Amino acid sequence: MSVTSEVSTDDNTITIKISGRFDFAEQNEFRDCYYDTSPGENTQFIIDMSGANYMDSSALGMLLMMREYLGGNAANISIVNCSPDIKNILTVANFQSLFTMD
Amino acid sequence: MPTVLIADDDIPNRLVLQAILERQGYCVLQADDGVQAVDVFRCEHPDLVLMDIRMPNMDGYEATRQIKAMSTDAFIPVIFLTATSDSEGLARCVASGGDDFFTKPYNRILLQARISALLRIRELYNTVQYQRNELDNHQKRFDREKQLAKRLFANIIETGSLGLPYVQSMLSPMSLFSGDILLAAPKPSGGLHVLLGDFTGHGLAAAIGALPVSSVFYGMTAKGYSIAEIVTEINTKLKMILPTDMFLAACVIDLNPGSHTLSVWNGGIPPVVIYGEKEQEITRSLSPRHLPLGIASDESFNRRVEMIEIRQDDRIYIHSDGITEAANPDGLMFGRQRLEDVFVKNTDSAELFNEIRNELIKFQDGGAQQDDMTMIELRYNQQQLEDTVFHDKAQSKRAEQPSSEWDFSMGLSADLLGCFDPLPLLIQSVCDMQGFRGQRQQLYTVFSELFTNALDHGILNLDSTLKGTADGFAKYYMEREVRLSNLADGSIKIYVAHRPSAEGGLLTIRVEDTGRGFDYQENQISLESNVGHSGRGIQLLNTICEKIEYMGNGNIVEVTYRWR
Repeated sequence: MSVTSEVSTDDNTITIKISGRFDFAEQNEFRDCYYDTSPGENTQFIIDMSGANYMDSSALGMLLMMREYLGGNAANISIVNCSPDIKNILTVANFQSLFTMD
Repeated sequence: MPTVLIADDDIPNRLVLQAILERQGYCVLQADDGVQAVDVFRCEHPDLVLMDIRMPNMDGYEATRQIKAMSTDAFIPVIFLTATSDSEGLARCVASGGDDFFTKPYNRILLQARISALLRIRELYNTVQYQRNELDNHQKRFDREKQLAKRLFANIIETGSLGLPYVQSMLSPMSLFSGDILLAAPKPSGGLHVLLGDFTGHGLAAAIGALPVSSVFYGMTAKGYSIAEIVTEINTKLKMILPTDMFLAACVIDLNPGSHTLSVWNGGIPPVVIYGEKEQEITRSLSPRHLPLGIASDESFNRRVEMIEIRQDDRIYIHSDGITEAANPDGLMFGRQRLEDVFVKNTDSAELFNEIRNELIKFQDGGAQQDDMTMIELRYNQQQLEDTVFHDKAQSKRAEQPSSEWDFSMGLSADLLGCFDPLPLLIQSVCDMQGFRGQRQQLYTVFSELFTNALDHGILNLDSTLKGTADGFAKYYMEREVRLSNLADGSIKIYVAHRPSAEGGLLTIRVEDTGRGFDYQENQISLESNVGHSGRGIQLLNTICEKIEYMGNGNIVEVTYRWR
């Protein structure tokens, strides 16, 4: 399994770690990471890409689904630790205008 | 209840069997010999046959062969009835197509068990057979529908304009339907619009999304809309129909030979590369500035277009990420560096496109294609672009209207001038009222020249001598952008009237701006010799219109267009 999530002790941050290929095969695991959470108003979601080496456009679609589920513009989602390749894919699609990126 | 055929020339034997079978509820048919057995079988289609070996006229072996030959698409078990159990005779039973044998004298219980076992197999065989046929039909139907859809798709998307002498392109879909689309359409005002798009995913779902995109692109281009308006409309449509996780990365460009400019709206497509003919290297790279289409809401959609100057024989390259992400058998990606290396190594720019393609194929080394790959090269050639024939796809299919009398006027204030282009609306209205079959492009030129002159010189006070210098064109159009977005006052009035004539009609167009005008008496000579105030536009109007007349202090112009 290449998607795992952990909830911080103060319950305000939920970190989703992606490793290996981030594509359609990971759809269900990825969705489960935020589907059944009951985020408070200040809950921050962090997607940690440090272990990911590839993502395709269906993964971009999965990120959009997450954003919409968590309230669209109100969603607080950061994408961190991207490799140059992953970062390139995200910025070509201009996802920095939808997600917080480091 | 299943039907069983008993073929036996020995009547007492038959009667015994009949009694046993009927008691168990089977329907029983009888035959005296092989010939009769085959006849009965042909007419009554029993579910199972009990076959004696030695019979007059035709023996059991031959009858079995014929019965089996008749029932190739179903399984009809044949059980041989035999007195002996010599292995050679039994082997012959099987060789002639028999499925089992049963030795006399008959044991009622064993016979019943053998019959129901074989009928169970028959049932199973029929089910499998039925499912196989169903599957087969489904597959055929699906293939037929796919082929039909592919033809429809090709007709709607039709990349006809890609066969232009200054355009080279490659489309390499990884499945029957491509998730990439490449569209090109000449504009009524001259020049070309191109759209290269890449849907999330591949195949049918992506292809369906391509249909509204192409109809909006072709329809609006033909009506004279700008690429900013076209991408806005496509975004609205896609936002409405696509699920959240699907979108269209797209790059739309406007190549404009009148102003030597390239306008680009790029949402999610790798950078557009300009290769300078003079410099023999990459001179510009236009990164994607926007989200892909179908994500942003109408309110947050950004339609801002980047405009740059383009020079004769410069080459423009646009490609989908399938090119840079193409992998070799080791899983390594082609990447942007390898792509740029091709440009660096190149010595003959006419060969660039082929070199990129060959380098890509060499790199892939037979590796499986992971994504649709699309690339286009456009060489900027002013003359060829201006000569590109505009096909009037927006032409009304209604019968030609009778020439009639009508007029209308339109007034545009400064805030509207800054954000609204009235030309498509004007042309569409005029063509809807009078038809003007085949004259849309000419009318577009007339309206466009008049309106642009009023706006650029009357309202925005732009100096057209700026266009005289080498890099002046681009400067001029960039300055125009700035002034237009800061426009605070001024207005333009357009009056259009049509009067029927014996052989057609007379169209009068008057455009009046609130600018300070110009001394048209003084400038008449320079106007006609194609320099000064409005440049070659006026010369163009002279060839199309019967009369051009300036009024007021030069801020009013009226033209008469006669058609037959």
